[in-house]
Amino acid sequence: MKDIMRVKCSISEDVETLINQQIKKEAHSSAIYLGMASWCARNGYEGAAAYFFKQADEERDHQMKFFKYVLDMGGNAVTPEISNIKQEYNSFREVFEEALEQEISVTQSIKNIAARCQKENDFLTLDFLNWFFKEQREEEIKARRAVELFDVIGEEGTGRWQIDKAVGAISYNSEA
Amino acid sequence: MQKTKELSLPVASFEEVFATKSGAIFQSDSEKCWYIDFAGKLARFDYRNLLKLKKAVYNINIEEKLLSSDKSADVEIIFICACDHSYVLSLLELIKLKEILQGTFVMLELNHIIHDRLFRIIA
Repeated sequence: MKDIMRVKCSISEDVETLINQQIKKEAHSSAIYLGMASWCARNGYEGAAAYFFKQADEERDHQMKFFKYVLDMGGNAVTPEISNIKQEYNSFREVFEEALEQEISVTQSIKNIAARCQKENDFLTLDFLNWFFKEQREEEIKARRAVELFDVIGEEGTGRWQIDKAVGAISYNSEA
Repeated sequence: MQKTKELSLPVASFEEVFATKSGAIFQSDSEKCWYIDFAGKLARFDYRNLLKLKKAVYNINIEEKLLSSDKSADVEIIFICACDHSYVLSLLELIKLKEILQGTFVMLELNHIIHDRLFRIIA
């Protein structure tokens, strides 16, 4: 009897489900960043708005990478439904604190997929996920640095104006 | 004398994947599909549709339906998009179909392991 299941699809159903959840998470993340960009633009933080627009684009790229991977492997990629996107924030600082939380949550979720892959010896997907781990390292460092700026520069006087300018300049270049 | 050409009919080779008293699922290697013998009919399912059927059946909360005291009939309609077959099943039939599907997927997984061990992984 032929192993039709394996011939048709290279990933297990469990991994497929997890990646589909991740697709939704990345799409949600992208939408949240867009909401943050909107709030920043409305409140006069142009630098931060530009930063979040870029982040929204990046999350969308991640979503598409996962989406295409599932299809390449012979699985079923599901277009996610996105709702409940926060539009209002209490402060400039809160926006960045939530952005960091968002990145942490994405990293944890990808770790969870990797753990599943390890369990079932799915080295193909593990290798695919490696790119995301490198990406998440950068995202978390950048998001943490942004929150740090609030302490380093301080919000008094022209502090927020300076933070807004500094956010765009955050970069991370790692040799490793 | 003219020799009559032998008619070569395609031989449909089915292999039983899993069977219970109420039904069975067969695999056809040549057609790369499965035949489900259940509820009085033999229905052909390809890879996508078999997975869709599994999802549809597994997603029904049987326990909740058993405990429900609704006066509505305990009939489930299992309709699969882009598939020629649908099932209209009573709760008992649904439980039986679920059992067959569960057994089938365990057997298919076992078949995958056997293929790995015998033909794919060099010991």
